Amino acid sequence: MSLKSYSRGRAVHVMLVYTGGCNGCDIEIVNCILSPKFDAEQYKVFLTWNPREADVLVVTGPVTKYNEQPLREIYKAIPEPKAVVAAGACALMGGVYKNCHGDIPSEEISGPVDQIIPVDAKVPGCAVRPQDVVAGLVSALPLLLNAD
Amino acid sequence: MELTYPLIAVIGTLATSFIVSLFLPGIERKFIHARIQQRVGPPITSPGIMAPIKFFFKQTINPESPMPKLYNALPLISIIIIIILLLVLIPQMYFLGALTSIIAVIGLLKVEEIMYMFMGSLSKSVLSVRMPFPDRAKGAAHPNTPRTFFEELSSLRAFRLIAFGSFPIYIALFVSVAMTGSIYLTDIVAYQQANGPILFTLSGVLGAIVFFIGYMILLNEYPFAILKGKPDVVEGPYLEYAAKYRAYVYITRGFLMFTLATLFATLFLGIAPNILNPNFIITLVVALIFPMIMAVMSAFSPIFTYKQFYPTVAGVSIVGVLAIVAALL
Amino acid sequence: MDDNKENRTVIEAEVPMGTVHPGALEPYRLRLFVEDEIVRDAEMTVGVNHRGVERIMEGLPVEKANSLTEKICGICSNSHIWNSCRVGEIALGIEVPERAVYIRVIMGELERLHSHLLYLAHGSEVLGHETFAMRLFYIRETVMELLRMIGGNRVQYGSAVLGGVRPRCELDQMRIQKLSEGIELLKEKLNDFANRFVSDPLVMSRITGVGVTKPEDALRLACSGPTLRATGVEMDLRTGMYEYDSFEFDVITQDDGDVKSQLLTRVFENFESIKIIQQAIRNLPDGPITNRSWEMQDTPITKSYIEVPRGTLYHSYALEDGRVRNSVIRTPSMANIGAMQYSAIGHHITDAQLCIVQCDPCFTCTDRAIQIIKR
Repeated sequence: MSLKSYSRGRAVHVMLVYTGGCNGCDIEIVNCILSPKFDAEQYKVFLTWNPREADVLVVTGPVTKYNEQPLREIYKAIPEPKAVVAAGACALMGGVYKNCHGDIPSEEISGPVDQIIPVDAKVPGCAVRPQDVVAGLVSALPLLLNAD
Repeated sequence: MELTYPLIAVIGTLATSFIVSLFLPGIERKFIHARIQQRVGPPITSPGIMAPIKFFFKQTINPESPMPKLYNALPLISIIIIIILLLVLIPQMYFLGALTSIIAVIGLLKVEEIMYMFMGSLSKSVLSVRMPFPDRAKGAAHPNTPRTFFEELSSLRAFRLIAFGSFPIYIALFVSVAMTGSIYLTDIVAYQQANGPILFTLSGVLGAIVFFIGYMILLNEYPFAILKGKPDVVEGPYLEYAAKYRAYVYITRGFLMFTLATLFATLFLGIAPNILNPNFIITLVVALIFPMIMAVMSAFSPIFTYKQFYPTVAGVSIVGVLAIVAALL
Repeated sequence: MDDNKENRTVIEAEVPMGTVHPGALEPYRLRLFVEDEIVRDAEMTVGVNHRGVERIMEGLPVEKANSLTEKICGICSNSHIWNSCRVGEIALGIEVPERAVYIRVIMGELERLHSHLLYLAHGSEVLGHETFAMRLFYIRETVMELLRMIGGNRVQYGSAVLGGVRPRCELDQMRIQKLSEGIELLKEKLNDFANRFVSDPLVMSRITGVGVTKPEDALRLACSGPTLRATGVEMDLRTGMYEYDSFEFDVITQDDGDVKSQLLTRVFENFESIKIIQQAIRNLPDGPITNRSWEMQDTPITKSYIEVPRGTLYHSYALEDGRVRNSVIRTPSMANIGAMQYSAIGHHITDAQLCIVQCDPCFTCTDRAIQIIKR
């Protein structure tokens, strides 16, 4: 393993963006990083709030209209290589808010995360369990490690 | 032959210091923070070594800044300044005369602080004003007020840090001057080798406490993290650094931790950093103990606002003045 | 509002925060108008999270609509489904078996515990005290495990259905045993933490006298729940709810209305919740947990107010052919937004987020009915 991949695997900076979920996934993800029981730092995963520092973007929620542009901007601000993890049913396919107006285009929901930014790993669950979040982060890692 | 010996000393000291300083953030995080918080914590190499290496392999992007090149150059300048600071502490460099005096040390530290101000005023991050959100709509309160970036806020705070926040560390530096009656590092070291370390006198103990508080303020560690507190300014001046420039920021911090501890060892213990001197081990021990105590303090304290910051600085400065008075008597 | 606070001078600059900010966690926009880093005015924009749950509820069968309300908020999910079922029960005149009422109360109080612990953890995080935040998350884990044991999920664990509780939430001997052990453990841990918390001089100096809301202002701003009780007003809807008739507990109030009293109110309410759960375990009556003998009929708009961890929760809907019509939900954070903006004024900008967090905001709850007027 080259130094590049090795170093990338040993320090993963994660940024969270909440785009209008119900707080359930959000708190489970914060729980997974802040709670000593799960403690993501032992898996070399660090929490950051600065897109310039981040490697992995974790997105929850069905992306409401007002959150669409901020999400794009933040995605753009992350330097390559980057990975996006969509966590929770809402982020994957809209959850209960999918098709909430039938055939009429929704005024509130801009759609699941993969319509806004490319998603690399999907973590299902309502709400996601902390263990699953760590697993999802790990499954996105090869993408980072093998990138140029 | 006469040149090889000092050259080895200087380069060896710099290299050792650099390598040790890379481990300091990891030690702080793994052995102190994680232990206090009852969790496993990251591997010791992750925060200090692997993270900067990782950032070197990331794509270099243009930061959002009115002067991107200058902004990116600032961490390099600040790391060079710290190297110069460490250089003038090494006994083999004492032939430089006025550069190896307390005044020069203070000047270099001041430049280091001014860097924060420049960084803050040059960074324009996405997290505040540039976040696209239609909040200046019809009916909004005060729609025409000028808007401020977080970084401008922390730039203002950096200015206050220069104005009053770094008093303690400068006063502490003058304790040894008052004791020895000379501003030259040569004389300070020589005095302590003759009369024993300053630390073991009354003014030395007071001075050490003051120095330590000043050390925490200069490093912006948690109770004093007004420049980069999470509740308001997120990361303050460093917000726009990405890729290798962020790696320099990471390295700078560890190196500054080490250099300030070395400064303490020189001024209060009389042990100038010199790899060829067996006493160098004491410098290393000081450089390890300082971040450890700092980590304990930061794990147990909330972030200060000015309401707590002003009295702390004022109180500590008074203690520092007392230490100088005690040294003069 | 207050005379000396209203007397504002020239506003120097605006500091916009959000919609992504580490102090806030949730997406909302905050504009702080500062003068030399002192907040002179604050404006909060909610609606960022608006997803239109009431619109989706419209026309759904009432059972489905009830379980949908759970998805409004991941923190007080049980409260929403509880109150939504309560509306249906009041409208259709369903009598809830006593055992089901007890289980609902246990779930409600466990939820209050986890919500208050989360609040305290978030507060510590905004204070910059990572160690306390982690400690509280660790204590909270005990409650989460209990909720997972009873409700089957760590977050969306709503227990109520029309006429009782889900069969999944039945408390057998083993569960009661585990519950009482968990509560004992929690009490011990909380005691340790509370002692440590109130004796920490640095934290206390940071939170005393910050973000003061006077009781008359709190009443005028229509605050509710612990936010109101922390200012000294003794008002708790639980004293009037029939579910809590057979339980003894104190209504916690504090005098000052600053961040310290807000935090302490939550700390002490945790102990009251523990007391209620212990009473419920001791006196848990036997019998069925669901009453299935009821008939669907059309009803006019019915309302129900209950006390949830954050304050007063209001649900109302009418029933038509077994389907929900005119659903309106008002969440406690909506009532507390005024206090959030008001208490931040006059304080340093670092305390601004703290002043908002002290009112226990939950913007995913709050972003409900918003009328879009196109001009």
